[in-house]
Amino acid sequence: MRGFMNTDRQPLIELQGIVKRFKSLTAVNGVSLSVYPGEKLVIIGPSGSGKSTLLRSINFLEEIDEGTVRFEGHEVGYHRRHGKLHLDKQSVICPLRAEIGMVFQHFHLFPHMTVLGNVMEGPLTVQKKPAAEARQIALDMLAKVGLSDKQDVYPATLSGGQKQRVAIARALAMRPKLMLFDEPTSALDPELVGEVFDTIHTLADEGMTMIIVTHHMGFARELADRVMFMEKGDFIAQGTPQEFFDNQGGNERIKSFLSRLI
Amino acid sequence: MTLFSKPSGRVVIATLLFLWALALPFAACAAPVDPDQVFKNASDIMAQGDLSAAVAELQKIPKPAKGEDGEAYARSRMQIARLEFSLGEMEKASAAAKDVLALYPDNSEAKNFAASVAAARQPGYVTFFKDCLRFLPSLLKGAVTTLLLVVGTMLISPLGGLLIALGRISAFRPVSALCWFVIWFFRGTPLLLQLFFIYYGLPSLGITLPPATAAIIGLGLNYSAYLGEIIRGGIQSIDHGQMEAAKAIGMTYRQAMRRVIIPQTYKRLMPPIGNEFIALIKDTALVSTIAMVELMRSADQLFNTYFNVTALVLAALVYLAFTTLFTFIFQRIEYRAGIYEHR
Ligand SMILES: Nc1ncnc2c1ncn2[C@@H]1O[C@H](COP(=O)(O)OP(=O)(O)OP(=O)(O)O)[C@@H](O)[C@H]1O
Ligand SMILES: [Mg+2]
Repeated sequence: MRGFMNTDRQPLIELQGIVKRFKSLTAVNGVSLSVYPGEKLVIIGPSGSGKSTLLRSINFLEEIDEGTVRFEGHEVGYHRRHGKLHLDKQSVICPLRAEIGMVFQHFHLFPHMTVLGNVMEGPLTVQKKPAAEARQIALDMLAKVGLSDKQDVYPATLSGGQKQRVAIARALAMRPKLMLFDEPTSALDPELVGEVFDTIHTLADEGMTMIIVTHHMGFARELADRVMFMEKGDFIAQGTPQEFFDNQGGNERIKSFLSRLI
Repeated sequence: MTLFSKPSGRVVIATLLFLWALALPFAACAAPVDPDQVFKNASDIMAQGDLSAAVAELQKIPKPAKGEDGEAYARSRMQIARLEFSLGEMEKASAAAKDVLALYPDNSEAKNFAASVAAARQPGYVTFFKDCLRFLPSLLKGAVTTLLLVVGTMLISPLGGLLIALGRISAFRPVSALCWFVIWFFRGTPLLLQLFFIYYGLPSLGITLPPATAAIIGLGLNYSAYLGEIIRGGIQSIDHGQMEAAKAIGMTYRQAMRRVIIPQTYKRLMPPIGNEFIALIKDTALVSTIAMVELMRSADQLFNTYFNVTALVLAALVYLAFTTLFTFIFQRIEYRAGIYEHR
């Protein structure tokens, strides 16, 4: 496991007993998880198993019903009132979110801003950096994802792969400590998947901590330090890619899931 | 034979024919005419209301021979001219006036009369243009007032509408309830009633407003309520992912609204808001009921003074000019606002 489970290192993010319900449906059911700095964690699992809900909970986009979230060792984001968990106010939550980058399946670029405008937006509006500095950061990030030549166009003119790379640059411009990817290539034509994977690989090589939800097993195998299998709101198996894909943890459910994918 | 089926009708016609036959020999042999008698007869006939018969009577005065006194003749022809004018026989009226001028070229009465006949015989469009020139100054004054009301409301109501829309979707219940009430009230009652209440009703609460202020407040509130619902719809039509993405980079709700969500509504909102503003241009006519002299009121005043439809036609043209102009402007803005969607 490349030493990431060492107890002498503090996890970057640590979830304990996370529960998230939608009315009667329990989407996330008591998940505990520690992610260490520099670790690349891949989450797989069938549709509706709660992977997106878990990622969104990490970024405080969902208000969880039970559990604790620790970021760099501190319990963050929630207070308890009348026995119920409530998200803290924006002045607490927003700076936390700013430290966590998120990339969505459907990109969600801001269509009314140019590519450069999209990437500058975080540094400019959230971090209140001077325009020239925000612009320089954005240009650096666009260079990193290989889209310097597209800085002045609007997102509508980009291909899906390019849009997703801009979305990655937008998240990176905030200099996050953790990146969350929720099926970043699921909305892409097959021939465009590679360019996005390459971009994520570059980030991985730079040592970025990341949690990736994906259905691409080849990619998971190449990139992951650890693979976790989620079903019905909780992890039912985990291991290194080798352990996981070679004997599938000896689990019949995982075996049948993987055989349907590959 | 239905025409003569009534015995009384037949009797009347027979009697008339008989009288006419009796009169013929007198007319033929009335050689020397007494002008004074003719004038007297004519005025009697006129008193009975038969103008054509009066003309016929006056025509009995002959044209004077050379050297004879033409005074009676001129007088009779001037009277004929006036009678024909009243009968709408412009050709005959001007012919009679010309008879007089042929005898007395300097007769000022005949000259003036010929001029007014000529004026009355102008083609319709000349009259129309003259009326236009007469009415336009006061209509344009009214139009400026209308334009100020329209532009004022156009500036106030989008801001008011945005506040109401944001209030409506606020998670803070009292605010959203208040905004719901404002929309419910101002969309649910006639604008006319609201204007009356503000102008005539508020003074009983000790608040007296000048008409212009009352008009702007009434129009502004009413249109803010309408735009509030439209803007709320626009905000809620933006893909939820946009708010999530904005939050994910650390934006507050307010920042996300201002920088990400609201700017994306501009293009979508232009057509329905443009529609409302076209309705607004015409709704300003309602403020004429609270003592504002705007375009509608000016046209109404002119119409009541001159009984001339041209004033109303002109007002309609000015309203059309305004709606056309604003439609064009809104289309340009919509195009500009959506420029990022062009591939
Ligand atoms: N906002 C919501 N309201 C109600 N139910 C929701 C909501 N979001 C998710 N769910 C439900 O929670 C469950 C978990 O959803 P989630 O999107 O986390 O699954 P997933 O593992 O990401 O699936 P997929 O692979 O299809 O993306 C699903 O049954 C889903 O219908
Ligand atoms: Mg999902």
